[in-house]
Amino acid sequence: MDRPVMLDCRGVWKLYGPNAETFLARHGAPTAETLRAAHLVGAVRAADVTIRKGEIFVIMGLSGSGKSTLVRCLSRLIEPSGGEVRFEGRDLLQMGEAELIDLRRKRMGMVFQHFALLPHLTVLQNAAFPLEVQGIDRKTREDRARAVIELVGLQGREGHYPRQLSGGQQQRVGIARSLIVEPDLWFLDEPFSALDPLIRREMQDELLRLQARLQKTIVFITHDFDEAIRLADRIAVMKDGAIVQTATPEELVLNPADAYVAEFTQHVARAKVVRLATIMAPLGAGPFAGDLPGQARVGDVADAVERADLPHRVLDEAGQPVGQVARQAVVDVLIGREVPR
Amino acid sequence: MTFLTKAPACLLAMLLATTAHAEVESTDPIKLTLHDWTGQLITTTIMGDVLKKAGYNVEYVQADYLAQFAGMRTGDLDVAMELWATTAKEALDEAVATGDVVNMGETGMKAIEEWWYPSYMEESCPGLPNWEALKDCAEAFSTPETAPKGRYLGGPVTWGGYDEERVEALGLDFEVVHAGTDAALFAELEAAYQRKDPIILWIYSPHWAPAKYEGKFVEFPAYSKECYEDPAVGLNPDMAYDCGKPSGPIYKAAWKGVDAKWPGAAKAIRAFTLTNEDMGAMVGAVDLDGKTVEDVAADWVAKNEAIWSAWIK
Amino acid sequence: MTALHRLIRDPRLFWGGLFALTLALSLFAGDLAKDIGAKWVMKFPKPLELPLDKLISAAMKWLLEEAAIGPLSFHAVTRFISALIEAPYLAVRGLLVDGLQRGQGSYAVQILPPLSWIAVTTIFCLLAWRSGRRGLVGLVGACFLYLAVFGRWESAMATLASVLISVPMGVAGGVALGILAFRHPWAERAMRPVLDLMQTVPVFAYLVPILFMFGFGPTAALVATVIYAMPPMVRLTTLALREVPEEVAEAGRMAGCTRRQLLWKCLIPTAMPMLMVGVNQVIMLSLNMVIIASMIGAGGLGYDVLTALRKLDIGGGVEAGVAIVVMAIALDRLSQAEARRVPGTGRGGRLVWIGLAVILATSALGYVLPFVQTYPAGATLTTGTIWAQAIEWININLYDHIEAVKVAILIGLLLPVKGFFLGIPWAWGIVAMGLIGWRMAGWRLGLMALLMTGFIALTGFWPEAMITVYLCGVSVFVAMLIGVPLGIWAGQSDRANTVLSALIDTLQTLPSFVYLIPVVMLFRVGDFSAMIAVVAYSIVPAIRYAAHGIREIDPQMVEAGIVSGCTRRQILWRIKLPLALPSLIVGMNQTVMLALSMLVITALVGTRDLGQQVYMALTKANTGQGIVAGLCVAFIAIMVDRILTAAARGMERGEAGHG
Repeated sequence: MDRPVMLDCRGVWKLYGPNAETFLARHGAPTAETLRAAHLVGAVRAADVTIRKGEIFVIMGLSGSGKSTLVRCLSRLIEPSGGEVRFEGRDLLQMGEAELIDLRRKRMGMVFQHFALLPHLTVLQNAAFPLEVQGIDRKTREDRARAVIELVGLQGREGHYPRQLSGGQQQRVGIARSLIVEPDLWFLDEPFSALDPLIRREMQDELLRLQARLQKTIVFITHDFDEAIRLADRIAVMKDGAIVQTATPEELVLNPADAYVAEFTQHVARAKVVRLATIMAPLGAGPFAGDLPGQARVGDVADAVERADLPHRVLDEAGQPVGQVARQAVVDVLIGREVPR
Repeated sequence: MTFLTKAPACLLAMLLATTAHAEVESTDPIKLTLHDWTGQLITTTIMGDVLKKAGYNVEYVQADYLAQFAGMRTGDLDVAMELWATTAKEALDEAVATGDVVNMGETGMKAIEEWWYPSYMEESCPGLPNWEALKDCAEAFSTPETAPKGRYLGGPVTWGGYDEERVEALGLDFEVVHAGTDAALFAELEAAYQRKDPIILWIYSPHWAPAKYEGKFVEFPAYSKECYEDPAVGLNPDMAYDCGKPSGPIYKAAWKGVDAKWPGAAKAIRAFTLTNEDMGAMVGAVDLDGKTVEDVAADWVAKNEAIWSAWIK
Repeated sequence: MTALHRLIRDPRLFWGGLFALTLALSLFAGDLAKDIGAKWVMKFPKPLELPLDKLISAAMKWLLEEAAIGPLSFHAVTRFISALIEAPYLAVRGLLVDGLQRGQGSYAVQILPPLSWIAVTTIFCLLAWRSGRRGLVGLVGACFLYLAVFGRWESAMATLASVLISVPMGVAGGVALGILAFRHPWAERAMRPVLDLMQTVPVFAYLVPILFMFGFGPTAALVATVIYAMPPMVRLTTLALREVPEEVAEAGRMAGCTRRQLLWKCLIPTAMPMLMVGVNQVIMLSLNMVIIASMIGAGGLGYDVLTALRKLDIGGGVEAGVAIVVMAIALDRLSQAEARRVPGTGRGGRLVWIGLAVILATSALGYVLPFVQTYPAGATLTTGTIWAQAIEWININLYDHIEAVKVAILIGLLLPVKGFFLGIPWAWGIVAMGLIGWRMAGWRLGLMALLMTGFIALTGFWPEAMITVYLCGVSVFVAMLIGVPLGIWAGQSDRANTVLSALIDTLQTLPSFVYLIPVVMLFRVGDFSAMIAVVAYSIVPAIRYAAHGIREIDPQMVEAGIVSGCTRRQILWRIKLPLALPSLIVGMNQTVMLALSMLVITALVGTRDLGQQVYMALTKANTGQGIVAGLCVAFIAIMVDRILTAAARGMERGEAGHG
């Protein structure tokens, strides 16, 4: 994890209520009680987030946990009450209007829960909208819009209006629109929450497919822990405006920071989360049935390990053997026995 | 008219217009105000037609009867052709007092305003039109709301008229109900007349109603200025208004600048007169026979060249 | 102390006590005061009256004659504005009515004729065609044919010209102010009371100053129309922009929109459906003003109505009135269709060419065949005396029955209520309004009610105000009594809804003058006639909101009732009505507003209320009196509005609490 930092936020606060800014300046780090006494609501409290280039960073929380507010602080759609947000080292909160607009036009994209398409524009025009406001000529922007529409699999519907599309299709337009400027930082605010479960699954696959191709830095908001686990490189769990734990899905499942996080993790099938590298035993002499990557999740390779009578060798990212894994360890994970670490 | 005949006619009209322009003092349009009763429209249209004959440029502007004084003071409006002594005297005097408006003299027509009843009421109230008959048969004019008092339908409050005072001073057992507009006034008359129901109401002349419906004005003790102002004068020693309503001339008025700007027109406006009979007949032709104001006015102008040519001499 | 506390807390005790006390005072205070010689109890002492009307008149005089902004006098500024408005108006009027003219007044010579009736009808049909709805083409065509066939063409075009100027002005002004209020909370705070006043001060009240400022003629009428028709556009713009989903605005910002781009490219297009509701309101209100505008020189259909009725030509009045309705319907449906048109799907350029071709062809043909240019007078239809005969028949044959019903209502309802309100001593009236306001929404509203009622007493318009309250109250009561059941019916049956919405459209745009005269013929001049006119006009929101309230009910609620074994009757009374109650209250609020605005018109049948005072001020060109009496009406309206809004809010909270 030594990829460069894309977005770094330190001690971000967002308070709602009378004189929120001055209150925060005076109190520094107020507790929940002092906030309540001052009739303030702490939508985001002292949030620290570091997002690295190329990762999918998921912010997970139930409704009202402040996750949507936090992501809006990160994109400065909302002015934080306090704290620091740095985009590639530049202080986002000190930027002027023009600088911010320029940054959003070139570097950021965002997808919204309820799609937020403009009803009076066609699919093509909606996708081309960010280029239109930049004043790019029609031909160029429509060519690029056609390309992103094809990328999200909506070719042939360029002339449709949003109301003529299904929810899943509308969100594909939303994705196309957010990708047309080729952003480096891609915010997705509960993009699939308003969709039916089957479509949701399909769209998650679609996202992973796109990400494999585009390698964006993604900040993904969800209230669905399964979705978080499925997509995330790292997850930040939020509760009452504060971040409870930031970790990889695996760490989260294996070592929940508190009872609240454990609530979520206890019903998660371990096999979907735990990687071979975590359960491998020290490398023996062999013989081995074959080689498996340490990053592979137990569930994905369980068949192969179980079928083989011999253990498999586990390789690290560089392809060097670092351990071995046998049938018993996989079965332990599959039936949910306590996993030793 | 086909295109071939119309086009030369247009040209001719243009030519004529340009030749006529030369004679008058100013080619700016003289703005005459139009109100919402037929008589006034006829008076004004006749005046306008005559001014046009003299070569003046004429424009008609719709304006409220009393609000028009404000326009005449600034010169937005130039001429008002019918200002009834009975309803607009105060406003006229006030406007003249500012020095911006000039009284252009009488129109020759007399405004009559008084209590009026349809003839069929003489059966249930013998003694009419003498007002004293009303003392004894107030109940004949009553409605469920006013019984046993008689019901007198007065004009809009804005017309004034002192009917409440009159009823009290003369000891009449009547309740005064005000109609809001004269349309409402005549609507009630029409309905009552259809049913031959009792009614007594405020009517003014010149108007089509006295021509259409058979009936008479009530004869009250004759109006005098003293009767209105001095309680001692008149039948009731303690109260004023113990007499009939005043009748009076109908005036014309103009913006003070008219005299200087269009002296010839000002002379014609001052000279303009009509009689009550002529006017009554013309109002009837419009309101009862359905002719247009323009036709009736043009008709008068065609038949009375001797009269109006003297005005513009 | 605890007894007092209970009195205030317990709603039955509070309202019952207040009513009992008021009734007792109303019945006995007058006589008592007379006995002890305290006339001031019933009649506000003259020396204490505020000479506000004189102050306002003087201020107006100063404004018009002396005020100046730098070297420019205020008068010159208003006249300049007047000229700015007049230029496009004259252009449109030339196009539709006068043709291209040279010269002024009677010197004017027509160089080119106006658009022919065929051309205008075709243009509007093409506009309808553009929306892609065949039915609409037929409707619009029929509407314009009506205008031609019934001989109303020229007047209708004059009215259309003023609507074509006043509606864009009202919409543009409304959108601009609405945006300002949306962007700046201070602007909204400043605008709210002004809008309240614009909507509640009777038009007659500010007609005189407008006449002074903008001169006589169509411009003043246009300005008055815009003032009257604009407030809903302002409010709806602010509301519509606020209701744009936050996400859409965020999407715009994330796309890198500047503030201006965000507004015009994201917010306004997204808010368009609701903005079109505002446009519809502006059109309807502008056409509502046609009659009043014609009183100050706008001419057109309103003038036709007035002159017809002055001659007691009921048929002519109805025909001209229906022409206004027909025009309102055509313009409304066109604007709605335009709003719903799927953008980009219309048939575009070709239609422009067809339109131009028709204009040129009919204009050229018009020189040879005059009937192409102007609809031939000989071919016009008229209902003639049918209407007058119908009224006469009713008048002669049914009058006794009508009279009996009328007398019963008069004696059973109107007179007692009138006595009650007129008997209330002014001082107690002020206290009572303060108490009601305080009880409904706290001390702030209480204080406001206290001050506003106090203002009314101070101006010396107390008795007129009480007559206003009485007439308006009774009319609203009757309107709700009739309107709510109709609305419930419309809310439950689609067929009833179709019938009733046609009725509503007609009632809303048919000038009340048209039915005032027959009403007077059948019911005589007096409060009863006034009441009928007010009810006919103000029943519209009572029906509409009741239907809306019933239709908005979550079907699950009704299903829950059905599975619980409710009868149809129980479903209506136990489920639908309680759920629709907040909507009914909003409807009642609107009914009160319309009733108050209508009272000014009923002054024309001779009521002695504030409306009459305003009307008298108009005819006497007394700016001060008009504005002061107008403010009294506005204050009554604002108090009722705030109190009923508080009631509706309380009820919704209550519902939420139970649910």
